[in-house]
Order: sequence, then C-alpha cells, then structure tokens
Amino acid sequence: MNWNSALEFARGPFFYAALIIFIGGMTYRFVRVLLLGWKPDKVPGKGSKLGGVAVSYLKGLIIWPFIPWVKNTFTRNPLIYLAGGLFHLSLFTVLILGTTHMLVWKSLLGFGWPTLPLPIVDWMAAAGIAAMIALAINRLIHPVLKLLTGAAEWLNLLLVFLPMITGYILTHHLFFPYEMGFTIHMMTVNILLIWIPFSRIAHFMFYFFSRTIHGAQFGKRAVTP
Amino acid sequence: MPEKTIAEELRERGISRREFLKLSGILAGVVGLMDSPIHALAKPINPVERVIQALQTKQRAPVIWLEFQDCAGCTEAISRSQAPTLVDLVLNTLTIEYHETLSAAAGFQVEEAKQAAMKKYAGAYVLVVEGSIPTGNSGVYCTIGGRTAVDLLREAASGAAAIIATGNCASFGGIPKASPNPTDAHSVMALIKDKPIINIPGCPAIPEVTTGVIANYVLFGVPELDSLKRPLAFYGNTIHDRCLRRPFYDAGKYADSFDDDGARQGWCLYKLGCKGPTTYNACATIKWDAGLSFPVQSGHPCLGCSQPDFWDGGGFYQGQSAPLSRPALAAVGAAAGIGAAVGIGAALMNRAQQKHPASTVPVETPEAKEAK
Repeated sequence: MNWNSALEFARGPFFYAALIIFIGGMTYRFVRVLLLGWKPDKVPGKGSKLGGVAVSYLKGLIIWPFIPWVKNTFTRNPLIYLAGGLFHLSLFTVLILGTTHMLVWKSLLGFGWPTLPLPIVDWMAAAGIAAMIALAINRLIHPVLKLLTGAAEWLNLLLVFLPMITGYILTHHLFFPYEMGFTIHMMTVNILLIWIPFSRIAHFMFYFFSRTIHGAQFGKRAVTP
Repeated sequence: MPEKTIAEELRERGISRREFLKLSGILAGVVGLMDSPIHALAKPINPVERVIQALQTKQRAPVIWLEFQDCAGCTEAISRSQAPTLVDLVLNTLTIEYHETLSAAAGFQVEEAKQAAMKKYAGAYVLVVEGSIPTGNSGVYCTIGGRTAVDLLREAASGAAAIIATGNCASFGGIPKASPNPTDAHSVMALIKDKPIINIPGCPAIPEVTTGVIANYVLFGVPELDSLKRPLAFYGNTIHDRCLRRPFYDAGKYADSFDDDGARQGWCLYKLGCKGPTTYNACATIKWDAGLSFPVQSGHPCLGCSQPDFWDGGGFYQGQSAPLSRPALAAVGAAAGIGAAVGIGAALMNRAQQKHPASTVPVETPEAKEAK
C-alpha cells in the first residue's frame, strides 16, 4: 500500500465528495426544520421576545463555565455535565483555533485568523478526548442512558472519537509514519462529514433554533430569570 | 569489463595505503553503512573493513547514463558532489561509457560508442536514467538520434545489471508527469519491471546521495530499499524528523510570512506550506553545497520534491493540512440546491398528508363507548 496516493485521495477527491455531501445534507436538514413553520402569535406577550432570546444565549454562555450549580443536570451528575461542556469547548478550540485546522478553513473560505499556541490546543484536545471517554463510560453504566443508547448513538460517539484520537496521534507523531497517520485522520474526518447530516450530530445547527425559540417563548411570557 | 579490481587499479595509480584507507572510510560513510547486529553476524563488523574488502574484490563498474525528459539538473548537481566527488567516482569506481551532458564526443560517434559499450558489458553495466519517459503518441515527444525515449530505455535496460533512476522525473515522473501530463510521461519503474531498480528522487537528487548510492551499488549491490524503491540509508527519515526547526513545530511556534518576526527567529515553516512531515529525504542531515545549508534552514518550506506527484500535492505555499481541492462555488451551490429541493419536497409532502390524511383512524371517545 502506497500511503502517498492514499493520502492524496483522502485529502483530494474523497474530502471533496464528503464536503459536498455534508453541505447538501445539512441544507436539507435546515430546510426541513425551517419549513416546520412558526405558529402565528395571536396573544400579545407580557415581555420582550428579543430580550428572552438574548438571555437564553447569555445563559448558554455563562452557566457552564461560571455558575454550573444552578442547573439540575449539574447537581444530579456534575461529572457528566462538566465532561459534556468540556468536550464541546475542546471541539471548538481545536477546530477553530488550532493552526492546522485554521489552514483548512483558510483554504476553503479564503481568509484566516490568529490561532492559539499549540500546547494550549493540545491540552484542550487531550481534555476533549478524556471527556469523551468519560461520557462513553457513563453511557455504559447509567441505568436510564443505557436504555436510551442504541446503535446510532454508539456510532455517533465512535465517528466523532476517531478523528479526535487520530488527530492527537498525528500531532504527536505516535505509532505511525506521518503520512499514514494523516491519511487515517483524513479518512475518519471524511466519514464523519458524510455521517453528520444523517445523524444527531447535526444538532450543532439545531442548537441555535432551540435557543432562539425557547428564549422567545420565555421572553414573551416574561418568565426569564 | 575491466579485469583488475578497484584496489589494484588504485595501487597502480600510486595511491598510498594511507590514502586508500582514507577513501575506504569516506566511502563507508557516504554509502550509509551501519554497524547493525545483523551485519556483525554475517560480515566483518567494521564498515570500513567491509569497504576495503569490497574494493579488493570488485571491479570498476561501467555506467551508461541516459537523459530523457529532464533538465540535466541532477547531472549539474552530481558534478558538485563533495564526497565522493564525481571525479573520485569516475577515477575510482566507475567508467562512464555514455553520458550526453558530460561526453566530449557528440552525434553518431557517441551513439556508436554507446552501442559498443552495451555489447561489451552486456548484463554487467549500471544504467542510470535521468528524466521521465514520454509514451504519448508512440513516444515522439522525446527522441535522441531519431529514436524514442521508450525505445532507448527498453534497449538499454535489457542489458543492464541494475537501473538507478536519479531525480524525481526518472523515479516518479516528476514535473513532466504533473497534471495534465501532456506527454503521458512515465517513471522508469512504471515501464521496466524485470530489473532491479533503485530510485534516488529529489529535484535534483542530493549529489552525495547519488554518488553514495552508485558507490554502494558497485561495492555491495542493491541496498535496502523502501516501498518506493528508495535506499533506506538516505530515505529512512522525513525532513521533519531531522529538521533543525523541529523544536519550534513541537512548541507550536510558526512563521506566518516570509518576513515576519517568526521567520527571522527561525520558527517552523509549516504554515508557509512546508511538506517536511511527509517527505523522505536526507536534506536535513547531508544538506547541500558541502553541508552548508538546505531549503528549510535557509528559510524556505520543503516542497516535497522527493515524493511521488509532489507537483500536484497542493499549493507549495499552502499549509499541508489544507485539502488538495477546494469545491467550486457551483458545486457547493448545486449540492445546497439539491438538499434544499429535497427538503422542500419532503416538507410539502408532509403538509399535504397532514391536510388530507390517507387513512383516518376514528378516535373512540368515552361517550361513544357508552352509547355502544
């Protein structure tokens, strides 16, 4: 097996195809949610919808890092609440503020931005991987979560975990020659890109829908804390 | 083939024992001999002793050097080799029978000399090939003396003991093979299957590596090769593995442009497109111009010139993590359009079904139950 040509395939046509499928699939999901419609508002609200939306996003930004204890989910199982948040923070840091990934965005969008030093990104990646392992173990032992977890959920976990762990291996030049590690990383990324629109990982887009709608509803009824 | 051994010829030329040992030491170094335990078991332990033994038993090797779709850059490079120098090689271990750039003779005389050499040393000469071989339109894009490159290569290869492909063009097709490959250029190993082939890729090949590999072949036969037929002694590590800027990569310190502070302080050139991590060559250790420097040391990212298809491996100044191809706006638009169309279609179908349910199951209210 010649890893050079495999890498060329993974970085070239395969990535291209995966990206196109991802864009097409996500547009489909987006349109489907958009066309569910918004019920006409016939009752005048007590509070400001816009204010509710603002508070909703602010809560999303502030609660996890600063005041997690106001959440029921935190008091019930702090480890899982923190691991979940840490995982998402890690993903954001590595994908947006990691130098190598910024170069991918740059090549696609045409512009780049300043990035964080590698050691910080590296520790965040390690934290994300650890958080993911903790979440997987929780799925295995939590009595209720065990019942809710099917093949699709395990596949989600696996397909997200593989790019993360192979990326970490690649950065540290562990186990494989670089071009082999790079190929495996790109292959797993491409598979994930294709899988996202057909799975619940697409929640990264719906998160904004639910935050907006819930915020508006609470704001209208003036029940925001 | 000359009947005397290399050592005998050297002695005849008045080379002293001291000079002979010095030459042996240099040769042992440049051919990349290692004191591995396996060597120690089977052969004399000391690499220099192995070289001395070889010089005393081997004869000078006749070489036929062919150039096809090349720039003669590899020849230019080898003429500046420091250890062994080309002169050393020619005087001590090789007899170059045919070389278009170096020959004093030209025209039909030199072609005749080549034919004579191929006949005289049939099955024993080393064939060195520089440049790729075009096969499109029956190979008319490169002809010498009215014969195509493919024809000349096949003829010369049939009588060769081994073939050394020097430079990226002969090893992997190089620039002539770059997309869209108008001449349908091929590497030597793509065309010749029945001879031992040693690839010495690079653009050009590092002169000391070329001379070292040739000397190694003459003394010890085909060296240990990797999956792309490159000698492991010189192509066993990546540029990145041996790079003097590697500590900056590990620390995440990158130059952002060619004239920023990072560039001046010698930081890693990854963001400027360095292909060092996937490039196997000896630039970072043997270096160029008698060990003076190499591209990364002097501030330019590695282009990956010893790798197959390096010309098509993404932009030279684009970070290696970036994908090779960027989807065209039209393709992105088409994908989004198809996604949106399917989404709208599905939503409309759902609505139609909600308005006129295909099958309505009557709900049994408690009153209806009582009435029954």
